[in-house]
Amino acid sequence: MPATSVTSATIDDVVRRAQNGDVAAFEAIYRANTTAIYALCRRMVGDEREARDLVQDVFVRAWQRLPTFRGQSALATWLHRLAVNVVLEHMRSAKRDLARFIDSDDDPTNELPATRAASPDTQMDIDRAVAQLPAGARTVFVLHDIHGYSHDEISQMTGIAPGTARAQLFRARRALMRVLDP
Amino acid sequence: MTIARHLTEAERHDVADGTLGTDVPTDVTEHLAQCAECAADVARVRQLMTRVREAPPPADAAGDLWPDIRARIEREKIVQLSSAAMQGAGRSMFRVPVMAAGLAAAVILILIALPLMRNGKARLPTSGAAPSAEVRLAADSARAFEREATILLNELELRRAMIPPQRRTAIDHDLKIIDDAILELKQAIERDPNNDALRRMLASSYRQKIDVLKRAGG
Repeated sequence: MPATSVTSATIDDVVRRAQNGDVAAFEAIYRANTTAIYALCRRMVGDEREARDLVQDVFVRAWQRLPTFRGQSALATWLHRLAVNVVLEHMRSAKRDLARFIDSDDDPTNELPATRAASPDTQMDIDRAVAQLPAGARTVFVLHDIHGYSHDEISQMTGIAPGTARAQLFRARRALMRVLDP
Repeated sequence: MTIARHLTEAERHDVADGTLGTDVPTDVTEHLAQCAECAADVARVRQLMTRVREAPPPADAAGDLWPDIRARIEREKIVQLSSAAMQGAGRSMFRVPVMAAGLAAAVILILIALPLMRNGKARLPTSGAAPSAEVRLAADSARAFEREATILLNELELRRAMIPPQRRTAIDHDLKIIDDAILELKQAIERDPNNDALRRMLASSYRQKIDVLKRAGG
């Protein structure tokens, strides 16, 4: 049997066991996916502590919803989508109306503080710059440019118009270009 | 398009990120070939996208969250719905008539069981006077349900005007029945805080409420 099939069968087995209430199997799912989920949450909210809380929420929700996972998509994809929803719900509960929140120009920091142009720590520069984007622009930028969601998908998830999503994306890119490539 | 009329912001981004795919209008292509300014800007956007996509994910500063997640999962399990039949009813509530039938059955079950339990006829063994740690954990879970229900209710309020009147009435009716059941169960639990069956029924009612709200929102 090819190695990929073995891996796939193993994942299927772990998922099945977790669906049947095996917490140890679910821990294996957590261990395999936590880095990616943390990265997503961290970039979407721009705050380390908030991201940690959200990772917990994501996996608790995953545990609750796992019985509904039917395997049409990869588990990692399912978890990713669930995490996006958890983060957007979190924003929604904090701001009540997510669409208006993302739509609005609610953050006065249009001009992000420039990072050092020749910084060797590229990743830190990018993460820091993304974290400093206004929340609406950051959300759309992370979903579109980092995770590859289309404007229509972003529109469906957040409730903002596709045109608004595009405008926020352009705004985010311009701000990042100013900071990262001054 | 002439050299004098530069590409719009949207055109530059759409060319850079491939939104236009292979359908880039000829005039846009021609302009890019002639205009160094627009071409440089498109290149900068592309460079940014490449840089961001190739950057490794943020360092995992989350630490090991598993102990906390595990603790929350265990808390949830305390109030998890024990009856698979009830869960099945919840999942099948896609259409209003089916939803109403499932809901009615569950509420009838609660309303029949509640007086019996009050009279002690169907009481499960209780552990004594002081609320146990499990009961306190169950209260935490109830708060989590209520938080989720509040968020969903807020969303429903935002969408209320778009819901057809008949469906709106049905949703309000169902929610009223469930809220009444929740209230009764809470009062019963206050009188008998360690009664496991009452707590499971309360959890079931919360799940039904959330299910109704989600289907109303969807």
